[in-house]
Amino acid sequence: MTSPPRVSPRSASGQVRRLFSPGLLFALPFLVLFAAFMIWPLGQGLWMSLTDTSLSAHAPSFVGLDNFTEAFKDAEMWRALGHTLWFTVISTVPLVVVALGMALLVHTGLPGQWVWRLAFFAPYLLPVGVIGLLWLWLYQPDLGLYNHLLDSLGLGTVGWLSEESVAMWAIALATLWWTVGFNFLLYLAALQSIPDHLYEAAAIDGAGGWRRLWSVTLPQLRRITVVITVLQILASLKVFDQVYLLTKGGPNGSTRPVVEYIYDVGFTGYRLGYASAISYIFFALVVLASAVQFLALRRREK
Amino acid sequence: MTSTDTGSRAAAARQVARPIRPLRPPMRRPQSRTRTNLTLGESRTARVLALTALTIGALIWLLPMSWALLTAFKSEADASDPLNWFWPENGFTLEGFSAVWERGDLPLWMLNSLLIAAAVTVITVLVSAMAGYAFSRTRFAGRRWLFVLTVAAVLVPPQILIVPWFQQMLSLHLLDTYAAVILPQTVAPAMVFILKKHFDSLPQELEEAARIDGAGHWRIFWSVLLPLSRPMLAAVAIFVFIGAWNNFLWPFVSTSDPSLMTLPVGITAVKDAYGIQYAQSMASAVLAALPLVVVFVFFQRHIVKSVATTGLGGQ
Amino acid sequence: MTGSGAPVDRPAFTRRRALAAALGAGAAALGTGTLSGCGNALASDDSTVRLWDLFQGADGGLLNDMVRTARPDMPGTKIERTVLEWGTPYYTKLAMASAGGRGPDVAVAHMSRLAGYAPTGLIDPWDTDALAEFGVRRGDFADAVWSRTQYERKTYAIPLDTHPFIVFYDPKPAKKAGLLAADGTLDAEAFSSPDRFLAAGRELAKASGKQGIAFGYVNDTAQGWRLFYGLYRQTGGVFELPDGGPAKVDLDRITEVIAFMAKLVDGKVNPGRLNYESAVAAFANGQTGMILNGEWELGTFKEANDNVGAAPFPTVFGTPAVYADAHAFVLPHRDSPDADHRRRTHRAVAALLKAGQIWATAGHIPAYEPITRTEEYGELVPQTHYKTAAEHVVLDPSVWFAGAGSDFQNAVSQVIQQALHDGLAPDRAARAMVRRINTFLAKPSPA
Repeated sequence: MTSPPRVSPRSASGQVRRLFSPGLLFALPFLVLFAAFMIWPLGQGLWMSLTDTSLSAHAPSFVGLDNFTEAFKDAEMWRALGHTLWFTVISTVPLVVVALGMALLVHTGLPGQWVWRLAFFAPYLLPVGVIGLLWLWLYQPDLGLYNHLLDSLGLGTVGWLSEESVAMWAIALATLWWTVGFNFLLYLAALQSIPDHLYEAAAIDGAGGWRRLWSVTLPQLRRITVVITVLQILASLKVFDQVYLLTKGGPNGSTRPVVEYIYDVGFTGYRLGYASAISYIFFALVVLASAVQFLALRRREK
Repeated sequence: MTSTDTGSRAAAARQVARPIRPLRPPMRRPQSRTRTNLTLGESRTARVLALTALTIGALIWLLPMSWALLTAFKSEADASDPLNWFWPENGFTLEGFSAVWERGDLPLWMLNSLLIAAAVTVITVLVSAMAGYAFSRTRFAGRRWLFVLTVAAVLVPPQILIVPWFQQMLSLHLLDTYAAVILPQTVAPAMVFILKKHFDSLPQELEEAARIDGAGHWRIFWSVLLPLSRPMLAAVAIFVFIGAWNNFLWPFVSTSDPSLMTLPVGITAVKDAYGIQYAQSMASAVLAALPLVVVFVFFQRHIVKSVATTGLGGQ
Repeated sequence: MTGSGAPVDRPAFTRRRALAAALGAGAAALGTGTLSGCGNALASDDSTVRLWDLFQGADGGLLNDMVRTARPDMPGTKIERTVLEWGTPYYTKLAMASAGGRGPDVAVAHMSRLAGYAPTGLIDPWDTDALAEFGVRRGDFADAVWSRTQYERKTYAIPLDTHPFIVFYDPKPAKKAGLLAADGTLDAEAFSSPDRFLAAGRELAKASGKQGIAFGYVNDTAQGWRLFYGLYRQTGGVFELPDGGPAKVDLDRITEVIAFMAKLVDGKVNPGRLNYESAVAAFANGQTGMILNGEWELGTFKEANDNVGAAPFPTVFGTPAVYADAHAFVLPHRDSPDADHRRRTHRAVAALLKAGQIWATAGHIPAYEPITRTEEYGELVPQTHYKTAAEHVVLDPSVWFAGAGSDFQNAVSQVIQQALHDGLAPDRAARAMVRRINTFLAKPSPA
């Protein structure tokens, strides 16, 4: 990095010096990286989506909007988008609700704080590679812990990752275990910022534990709940890692999210151009989701 | 979702939420007795119920890792024999760990992860702090719209960039190098945003004195603002480090050479010639999980604070 | 521990290498030096040939043994194996590594995938003269196998083995049911038409008091296709897949084969709804007298019953044809390969082929014929009983989207599952299959 000349903006004079003003020099390292690895790839991705760029050695040619028209007719892409949305629904709800429950319980200040926080948050620190190994082992059909527990309770066994009707739920369950700690911490922090006097006032009014929960705690958490939900939706829409590691999108493509479809089409199928087009369609979806949430929030706040 | 997403989560939160009240780290709290009385009331049953629920929840949450630990310390024969759950026939053993360690690739992947995460963290924090300073404290042509562009970029999911990044690294002949893994991860608009807001919150008077003493921007940034921002920088650094350490998709796409892989990629992509061996597999999982969990045990307060502040976009 | 001893020639992550790694990343982190230099610091030393493969379990262990045995044949050269996950992930990584130009020196690939590799420039041709110097020649391979290694008159693959889809049987009930010839091998005549095949299943079930023939296909990504395609080619029907489509196939024959398969897994005489693992277990545990599967399960079955019998897949529909695939060595693309290192790679592959006797113990038929002509190989039972399968092998259609671990095999297998498992009428399944194939043909070829 370059050490900028020691001139304050006020002493700078002349066109050239203003152009290379200290401010710009400070921003420059970021702007260079930003341009090289964000703006440029965005542009290149858009260009690639208009070509038949392939992983193989052949030279790409311009195909106009062919990739997009193909994508809109591609049943597999719609199916993958559907899986992504479905995963978002079945993961977001428990990830918010369970996190809230955990935070409320831990926030009561019952003894063992350190243990509770470790138990609920530590999984979030595990690399997804560990999540993959661990849950493949837990879900293993014959030797896995869960089937063994079910079997010894006389409930029979479940094809956690091999049955189409179960696999997505199994992935959502592993995701819940893995990432709920993040939302849990956000809730915990919000709970601690609730002023004590609100509780004290409620106590004076004779409100018991339940009433304090309903009339003090939960109303105070309304805003943070919206925030956490919005963040969770955006995060869940981007699901790839744990699905890829647990099922590779199977059985029979029934859990393949759209990000994996991009990977499969681009790298397994060599069609980088088509994969770029799908990337942009997915991007549009994310922007749309963000915009809808943003507007909904704005209206609520008013 | 990849851990990197939490970066964009951070500033997305900032956009939707107006600054919430300052967050206190959960550790510092008045006597728990009072807190319990405040939230649960005086009822003894409520207390017992809450404690029971917590215990059950914690047990469920601890079960997977305990099971992994138990498996990792078994012999291979016992690991695949559900009848010898707690009292393995051959006793507990370190066989799995030594087999995994001796194979040699796991330590190397750890080293790769450490180097890559450290490089990403150093570059990101420094570059983002400088940019945050520039956006907060200086004026230059295009500052406003460059900042708007940066904030807008928070919406871009890294997942949609893997294909163009790959193509880019391909044409630069950088695939299967550390540079390819590191560079795209260093662009963190969310962190620039957080740090800009942070610098905005520091009073101007601090620098005025230094400026009168003739200090230039660099000295003000380096010797006045950065030392004042240590907690914030630590929070950002921890956040970026965890993200980079756990990142999967891009390291997975940009490396094929096993000797360059990071921990999460290596332990899942490279297999053992002798087939799936569950004790060894769990031993690798435990070893791979260890570094961050140990760090968490020692620095719980800092990490909790980092997530609480950075996760929602700071103050 | 199931594996004994330390794996041979695993990537040797010596301190030197780790140090190189540390330096490389350090340079990148500091932003000093040229960025592209970092990867090269990791290149193994010259004497190491880096091999990628997808063999885990028994096969993986045997390849380690082969590497050990081949050592005297390649003085001064070390082979360093990397085992990656079988199937699609393997081929995806291989393609990406080859595109980046920093892939392994040599890799194992299925011959059925070659059509998706050779024309794309992702792999380089072999130098057959150099191989001949090391004792591996064109004449050492069967024509049916060798012809698949060619693209534009160049050799893109050196075959390691053929692994056909065959039948395994338990000799005791088979003998009781009168299905064995005088010399104790399977009487192919008893299986020479759909009706006879089904009758043989009934006899087997009667003889053992259990069930007849096992076939595991539920939720499998390839088994349905393997059995179907072998049988279909026995009917002599056309199966041409021209670029852009539509497929030229014989719908009646497809229907006929699917109908036969559906009758086979009737759930009474023969088990109806087995997946791959449960079918293997059913046969290994003596629940059925026969199983239709690849020879690669020989190790499993031999462990359960040392006398297990095996035979080439019987000719049910008139024309001899046995579905098979083959493992082969390919050279991932390099922009400017080092000539000496390429030569060393050729030598290492030649040495591995000559250690093929070890590979044969797993059940695979070594492609390098000097091995199958040895007395030692002749003593391998039941391997020698299905050796002749190599003469009539059919591999996947030679199109870019087919082959082991491909979406194509999976898609066709799913259609077949609908007919066998969910009761879709054979003629409708046949049409559904053709529709699926046509969607693949409509996609632009990456080459």
